[in-house]
Amino acid sequence: MENLKCTPLLKTHEALKARIVDFAGFAMPVQYQSVKEEVEVVRKSAGVFDVSHMGEFWVNGPEAVAFVDYIMTNDFLSAPVGKAVYSPLCNHEGKILDDLIAYKLSETRVLICVNASNIDKDWNWIKQFAPKFKVELTNLSDETSLLALQGPKSEEVLGQILSLSLAELPYYGVLSAKWDNSEIIIARTGYTGEDGFEVFCPNKSIVKLWNAMIELKVAPCGLAARDVLRLEVCYPLYGNDLSEELTPLDAGLKWTVKLDKPDFVGKSALTNYQPVKKLIKFQLEKGIPRSGYLIVDGNGKQVGLTSSGTHSVSLERGIGMALIDFSQSTKEPLFISVRNQNVSINIQTKPFVNGGHK
Amino acid sequence: MSQNVPADLKYTKDHEWAKVEGDVCTVGITDFAQSQLGDIVFMELPEPGRTVGRGESFGVVESIKSVSDLYSPISGEVLERNDDLVASPDGCNQNPYGSWMVKIKMSQPQEQNELLSADSYLSLL
Repeated sequence: MENLKCTPLLKTHEALKARIVDFAGFAMPVQYQSVKEEVEVVRKSAGVFDVSHMGEFWVNGPEAVAFVDYIMTNDFLSAPVGKAVYSPLCNHEGKILDDLIAYKLSETRVLICVNASNIDKDWNWIKQFAPKFKVELTNLSDETSLLALQGPKSEEVLGQILSLSLAELPYYGVLSAKWDNSEIIIARTGYTGEDGFEVFCPNKSIVKLWNAMIELKVAPCGLAARDVLRLEVCYPLYGNDLSEELTPLDAGLKWTVKLDKPDFVGKSALTNYQPVKKLIKFQLEKGIPRSGYLIVDGNGKQVGLTSSGTHSVSLERGIGMALIDFSQSTKEPLFISVRNQNVSINIQTKPFVNGGHK
Repeated sequence: MSQNVPADLKYTKDHEWAKVEGDVCTVGITDFAQSQLGDIVFMELPEPGRTVGRGESFGVVESIKSVSDLYSPISGEVLERNDDLVASPDGCNQNPYGSWMVKIKMSQPQEQNELLSADSYLSLL
C-alpha cells in the first residue's frame, strides 16, 4: 500500500478493521464487516462512505454557468441555482471522458465532482476551454474530502449533526453551510438510489464529521457495497459501463445529451452519430455475471460483453449490465457465457431495485 | 490474528480442509478462506461420479466481489456433493469446518501423505 494516496480517514478505517485496497491510486476501504450487511443497512437505515478520493473542481466567475454548460452534454444553463446536474464529459468526437455532477451554488460559482481515476485527465481537458470564458478554475481535489451519507435515516442524522432542517432540500438540491468554522457543501445526491447526502468539506473537518455520524449509529460502508448498491439501481460506472470507446448514445445516456443546446463540446459529432452499442440490464436465474463475460446469441455468436455484474443482495440473484451490438434484437433469447456454459439472461428495461430517493 | 485451524484435519496450501476416513476424503474450505472471501453467495460443485485429479479445479465459490476456484486435495471419484450447501452457500461463512462440499473416494490413497498438518498450514497464514 506504499505510494498510494490516502484520505484523512485512512487510520480511522484501519481502526475499524476495514479491508483496504488500491482504488484509482488511493488506499480505500472496500469493506468493513460484511458487504451484504452494508448493502442492507443503506437500503433500510443509513450508511456512510468515505469517497474523498473523488475530484473537486471549482468554477468561479461571471461565465461559470456558461462554461460548465459548454463542457457538458446535459443542460446546465436552465438548472436553477441550488440544483445539481449529472452529465457525461465528452471529447470532440463525442466519446465519454468521464461522468460528473455539477453543483450550481450561484450563477457565478459551480462545483464539479469527477471520478478519482480521471482527475488529471479531466482537469487537463476542461482547463483548455477556460480562456474562452470569464472564469477561474481551481482544482481542490487534494484539499477536499467527501462523505456520502446514504439511506432513509440520512436526513434525520445529518440534520441533527448540522443543526439544520434538510426537509426542504430536494433531490439533487445543493446548499452551502458553515460547520466546524469552514464552508461545507451539502447535496442531496448519491450513488445508491436511496435518499441521502453527499457532504464536501475541507480535509481538516472530515474525521469530526465521520465520527459524528458513527456516534449516531450510522454504519461505515465500503466500496464493495457501493458497487452493489449502484448496480442494483443501474447507475453506470466509469471504466466499466462508460469509457472513451463509447458515446453517451451507446451507453444508455441519451437523456443526458441535449442536442438543442446552442453549442457544447462534442455536439457536432453527436448530432449525426449512429450508435454502435447499447447498454442492457439483465438478471440470471442461477450464477453471477462478471465484467468481461461474453454475451452470445442462440447460435453462440458473440454479440456483446458484460460491463458490470454482481450478486444483488436485495434480490438474492445475479444481476448485470452489458454493452451489446446496437442492431442486436433483445426480443430473441440471449445468453451469457459463464465458465464456457451458456446461461440464459432475462433482459429488463427497469432498474433491478427501486431506490427510495426523493 | 488467531486462526481457527482444527488439529484433527488436513489442509492444502489453497485453503481447503480435508478429512480422511477409510478411503473417503471429505473436503471443504478453511476459516481463513471464508474470512478472505467474505459473504459467499454462490457455489458450483461437481456431479457425483466425476473423477478429479489432485490439484485439479473441481468447482467454484463466489463471494459478492470475487470468483475463486476450488482445488481437489486428492485424486478420486466424487461420491457425494453437499446440495444443501449449494442452496445456502453462506454455511461456509458460518461454520466452515461443518460445511463439507464433496466426498471423494480416493484413487491414490498415498496422496494423503502430501496434505498439510494443522501446524504446517498455520505457518502459511
